Amino acid sequence: MKVLILTNIIISRIKNFSNKDINIAVENSLDSLSDKNLSNYESVIIKPNLCYYWDYSTGQTTDPRVVSAVVDWIRKRSTKYVEIFVAEADASAMKTKYVFKMLGFEKLAKEKQINLVNLSEGEIINKKVMVDGEKFTLPVNKILLDKNLMINVPTLKIHRTIGFTCALKNMFGAIAKPRKYDYHNKLAKIIVAINKIIKSDIILVDGIIAVGKNPKKMGVIITGDDALSTDLFIAKIIGYRPSRSSYLNLGVKEKIGESKIFNINSNPLDIEYIKKEFPKANYLIEERKMSFFLSMLKLYTKIVGDVIPPVLDVE
Amino acid sequence: MLNVGIAGLGKMGKLHFLNALKSNNVNVVAVADLSKSNRKSAEKYHIKSYKNYQTMIDAEKLDAIIISLPNFLKKESLFYSSDNNLDIFIDKPFARSLKEAEEMIKKIESKNIKVMVGVNYRYFDSFQKVKKIIEEGNIGEVVLATSELIMDGPFSHPLVPSPVADWWFSKEKSGGGALLDLGYHLIDLFCWMFGDLEVEFSSLNYRYHLPIEDAATVILKSKKTGIRCTVNTGWFSKMIFPDFNFRINMHGTVGYISTDEFAPKNLYFHAVKEGTKNFVRKVIGRKLHYLSYTYYYSSFVNILNLFFESINKDLEIPVKLDEQLSVMKSIEMAYKKNEGINID
Repeated sequence: MKVLILTNIIISRIKNFSNKDINIAVENSLDSLSDKNLSNYESVIIKPNLCYYWDYSTGQTTDPRVVSAVVDWIRKRSTKYVEIFVAEADASAMKTKYVFKMLGFEKLAKEKQINLVNLSEGEIINKKVMVDGEKFTLPVNKILLDKNLMINVPTLKIHRTIGFTCALKNMFGAIAKPRKYDYHNKLAKIIVAINKIIKSDIILVDGIIAVGKNPKKMGVIITGDDALSTDLFIAKIIGYRPSRSSYLNLGVKEKIGESKIFNINSNPLDIEYIKKEFPKANYLIEERKMSFFLSMLKLYTKIVGDVIPPVLDVE
Repeated sequence: MLNVGIAGLGKMGKLHFLNALKSNNVNVVAVADLSKSNRKSAEKYHIKSYKNYQTMIDAEKLDAIIISLPNFLKKESLFYSSDNNLDIFIDKPFARSLKEAEEMIKKIESKNIKVMVGVNYRYFDSFQKVKKIIEEGNIGEVVLATSELIMDGPFSHPLVPSPVADWWFSKEKSGGGALLDLGYHLIDLFCWMFGDLEVEFSSLNYRYHLPIEDAATVILKSKKTGIRCTVNTGWFSKMIFPDFNFRINMHGTVGYISTDEFAPKNLYFHAVKEGTKNFVRKVIGRKLHYLSYTYYYSSFVNILNLFFESINKDLEIPVKLDEQLSVMKSIEMAYKKNEGINID
């Protein structure tokens, strides 16, 4: 395993997928990245991506072993007792109380003596924020607004309709409102809005299994200290033009973080590995395929009078 | 005209509702569901809706009811419907346990009503073809049969996300996990073909740390013929519609046959092909084959139409409740014989 340092982004590769190797990769990445004195913080919030009841092997959700390694790192680097919270909010189709259990976080919490927090419960504060000239009010759990260290632990994936999703999109999942599907017609603005409200101090991307056209064991951990620049960097190296993502564009415009494009040529080996091995798809086709099929289906059922099964009903 | 009510408008209930609306000689009178948004989806079709099935049954003049309620409500809804002399179509699993199944069968014994269980996998075109080949002796006598039905079960993610109902996570309310929900179909197919089966081996998996199993392997053996059948089922696999992971393989003394040979190789191509056929049917005024373009959902149309036809023409019901007792017996036996380890 070796560590490669860019200005504020570190790529660590895991040779095998053992717990020990994951621990080393996470620890080295965080050590190389962070000069943060953890003693300044009373508590640390870890925000994994637990978007649905799909386990880490699908590449859709954060591997609990990565979160476990982050917890170990915090404990090692703290001179005093720091309370650690693993936080996730309910989603349109997912309830946190079940996802923590199903994906192994309840077990992890017991083993590591950490707290699991449902961000949709407890004290919720409506935060107002302007994005692109529009005012938004988002419900946010107070715990995220208190002085904590926020470690954002997203997965690395291309969603078939949203496209590139990583650190910025992971914070969308932290909005307290469970039915976040209601935000989907203004998704880009809402993603930028929540990232304006909650700043991620450390980003640790779980790229052990990355998802492009299919999941693939990549064995990569990428850390950064700025969500926007980490996303821009990763999008670029996996071959997803950042300009194609409306929320990345808006994030740059709204200056929610650092938007310098990194000199990827100067870091050949690991970047080349990701560029070469990431399971790319034709994103233009992939992102439009479903909406094309659905329009054709609607047209067909309108003309013929056939039934649309509930699973495909978008009305 | 058959006056039908629908109890429960979850994923399956909505599907039955839409299919019933298209059925000949069927008048969907009303639906019942606790959820306001589910009721609204029926009201769009100008169908009356009720908060609970009891009120619907009391208020409407129904001939038959489709019970598509959560497992823990199936017994009481069947009792209430049978007390009101309604013919009943009930989703599988019709009961949470063998004891509950026996009580339900006993309840309807004295009633002059038709009760059918929605084991739609019998009506998959690919399975019907395999069954025919076996019956004609084309692969000799079957010695071994294997089956797989592995999907995401209640954790399927529709295009418009909605939460997985809480009762699925409770052993008490659901009665069981993947074996009871999906394995039921496979065991039903084997019981239907080979008669009563005994469980030789059973192993359940709990990858997702829930009180209900998310995967199961069960080996059954026919007492009469010695045919050994393996059931592999699970809820653990992320699947995006139209992907579908089901197959039955029959190994006989002369050869073997699999449902895969008759299932569409490319489901998108299949959708276009079947959609075009339906378009032509529409143009020349023939009856449509509803949902045939989906492959998976067409079997639900077929089985529901058989139920309606049996009532309208006073024919014998093709899947009777008491006949399903053997499936429930096998499942109960499999739970008792479980040799798996609960990782919790």
